[in-house]
Amino acid sequence: MLKLESKQVNFYYGSSPALKDINLEMESNTVTALIGPSGCGKSTYLRLFNRMNDLIDNTKLTGEVLIDGIDIYKKGINVDTLRKMTGMVFQKPNPFPKSIFENVAYGLRVNGITDKQFIEERVETTIKQVVLWDEVKDKLKKSAFELSGGQQQRLCIARALAIQPSVILMDEPTSALDPISTSKVEELIHELKSKYTIVIVTHNMQQAARVSDHTAFFYLGELVEVGTTKKIFTNPTQEKTQNYITGRFG
Amino acid sequence: MKQVDENKLAKSKKRKQSLAFFMFGFIGFVIVGILLTVLSFIVFKGVSVISWDFITKMPEEGMTRGGIYPAIIGTLCLVGGSMIFAFPIGVMAAIYMNEYVRDGIIKKIIKQMTNNLSGIPSIVFGLFGMALFVNKLGFGDSILAGSLTLGLLALPVVIRTTEEALKGVDDTFRHASLGLGATKWQTTRRVVLPIAFPNIITGLILSVGRVSGETAPILFTVAAYFLPKLPTSIFDQAMALPYHLYVISTSGTNIEESRPIAYGTALVLIIIVLLTNILANFLRKYFGKKVKMN
Amino acid sequence: MNHFESELGVLKKDFIKMWELVSLQLKNSLSALASMDHEKAQKVMLIEMEVNDLDLKIAKSCENIIALYNPVAVDLRFVLALIKINTYLEKLGDIAAKVSKFVIKSVDPFYNDLINKTQTLAMFEEACDLVDDALIAFKNNDAKKARDIFKRDEFINEINKTAFLAIIDSIKENPANIEKYLKMINLTRRIEKAGDMSKLIAEEIIFYIEAKVIRHDSK
Repeated sequence: MLKLESKQVNFYYGSSPALKDINLEMESNTVTALIGPSGCGKSTYLRLFNRMNDLIDNTKLTGEVLIDGIDIYKKGINVDTLRKMTGMVFQKPNPFPKSIFENVAYGLRVNGITDKQFIEERVETTIKQVVLWDEVKDKLKKSAFELSGGQQQRLCIARALAIQPSVILMDEPTSALDPISTSKVEELIHELKSKYTIVIVTHNMQQAARVSDHTAFFYLGELVEVGTTKKIFTNPTQEKTQNYITGRFG
Repeated sequence: MKQVDENKLAKSKKRKQSLAFFMFGFIGFVIVGILLTVLSFIVFKGVSVISWDFITKMPEEGMTRGGIYPAIIGTLCLVGGSMIFAFPIGVMAAIYMNEYVRDGIIKKIIKQMTNNLSGIPSIVFGLFGMALFVNKLGFGDSILAGSLTLGLLALPVVIRTTEEALKGVDDTFRHASLGLGATKWQTTRRVVLPIAFPNIITGLILSVGRVSGETAPILFTVAAYFLPKLPTSIFDQAMALPYHLYVISTSGTNIEESRPIAYGTALVLIIIVLLTNILANFLRKYFGKKVKMN
Repeated sequence: MNHFESELGVLKKDFIKMWELVSLQLKNSLSALASMDHEKAQKVMLIEMEVNDLDLKIAKSCENIIALYNPVAVDLRFVLALIKINTYLEKLGDIAAKVSKFVIKSVDPFYNDLINKTQTLAMFEEACDLVDDALIAFKNNDAKKARDIFKRDEFINEINKTAFLAIIDSIKENPANIEKYLKMINLTRRIEKAGDMSKLIAEEIIFYIEAKVIRHDSK
């Protein structure tokens, strides 16, 4: 089933175009990796889906961005509600200055849930979902900053999952992590795929190869090529793609 | 490149480096030296008058004898009053500017005004305070009028330090919170402010240090020349340390005889400022530990 | 088990299936040859198509795994060994098909006698056993068992040598049937080749387990 879609999307910072005519479709329960050199627009594209770009002054969007077939930039769309449908994970682990428990409960609390038992259950299942429970179950009241970087990032993923989004947006989620933590997060991505639609921006091509079903290659704001990851990494059709993934870019 | 040249180069590099280090070190020591000289001068002159009586007794005999108790209390009242006024307004203004207003003309105007405010000489604040609070609003010479005037003076400092503290909060925290469907206010209150808190507190206390030493703004708004009793309400006049110091060193009944008291007062003032700075550091570390980033 | 390991697991499963099919092909062609049974020989040809499909699939999977997961150390050797063993298995399948073709074409009872005389069936049987034993060595990561294969391949070579001499003698006695004798030499050489394939497979197994290249070592 089609989950995310963009039709003829153009995006401008001021007057300089950051995305040019992007047409892309993403199926439910798949992982799509967005790759490309810095400044190619992949992060900008990712942030279209939870309207994070709204926070930046002086930007302009044309075209349609759809989740479940609904244009999320249409008038009358409640941005807060929209953002609940998508969970976002960032480059650096950024837990809030709260306890481990409260970090995960945060999304529930700001959305007006007060039922204590419900929150406790949800927090537990979510932390279990990111395979962190055994490591933190005895120190839920402790500050999230006491965790290691890798644990913090998994906590941040749990925080995003707690409000049960259907889409997870990841912006270079492992670039600040050591290899072991990285592979843990990558494993997690595989497991989460069965329930969520995942879009991941990554600078690490091998990561894109390892975790994703589809790969989209962006260059200078254009979508150069998109296809199954196997195809892109064994036999890309575009020369630019080939040069980029083989490291011959320039 | 030849081997010999490289050796020479390395030597000359090393020489330049030692010279630069020496210069910076020297300048550093000069600054510390000046500070220590001033401090030790005051301490040396003032320490003999300091006693329990000095800080807990009323002044006597035209301020040539007795203590400075009412001036200490007066200063504390003024500092406290000004902060009650300046802190919430300043923090709110900073939040508004940093979290809500988009870059543009409005933000520029507010920012420019804040900067101008901090550039105004403090005596002008004193005059303004007298005109508005003392006369127009009819508070008279009172702790209230003085606190409000000092508060105005502290406002730009509070706004600026708070703004810096808020700016120091990484945007991804805001994005993470907003991404969970939180509103801007929820994000500010539950995430941004707790992270910025240690630095906001530091700014607040530094402005306390600034306010406690000001003389000009209280000159026309609150300060009493000689008032050997404690204030009983916010509409009372009060003595204050900086003003007291000013008075007994320039226009006292007997300047020569009250000179030791002046040094003692100066020492007390310096100790108060020093203590607030130490407190600021301590609080920053204490709260900073709670929100430590790695 | 992580994602890479499970991908590798899928590949290994396909691979063992391929191996078993090839082994089945060989056994079928052996019994077809023993009884000169055309039907059995036809069956081998059918399996051959399946083997060819699997060969392509496994080659593609290996390519994908190298491209997507950048395996290193033992994983890399495993995939590299797989690529080569896959080729050898495919060739073994070809040998089985060729033997079956021989059975189908050679309706002449003349060959029965010759096959007995040259011990071709014994040689073939041993070759089939070697393929099975190599599979067991592969499944169990057993380098020792893989090494045993070298010695047993020598045995096949010996039989082949005597068979060759016997056929030469027969040609001298009966030069009129030289074409049939040459066909027979071809057959025995193919079967000897099957033994060689097992040896090569054993080398790859040792390579991936022990990281030793023994191709050019003296025996």
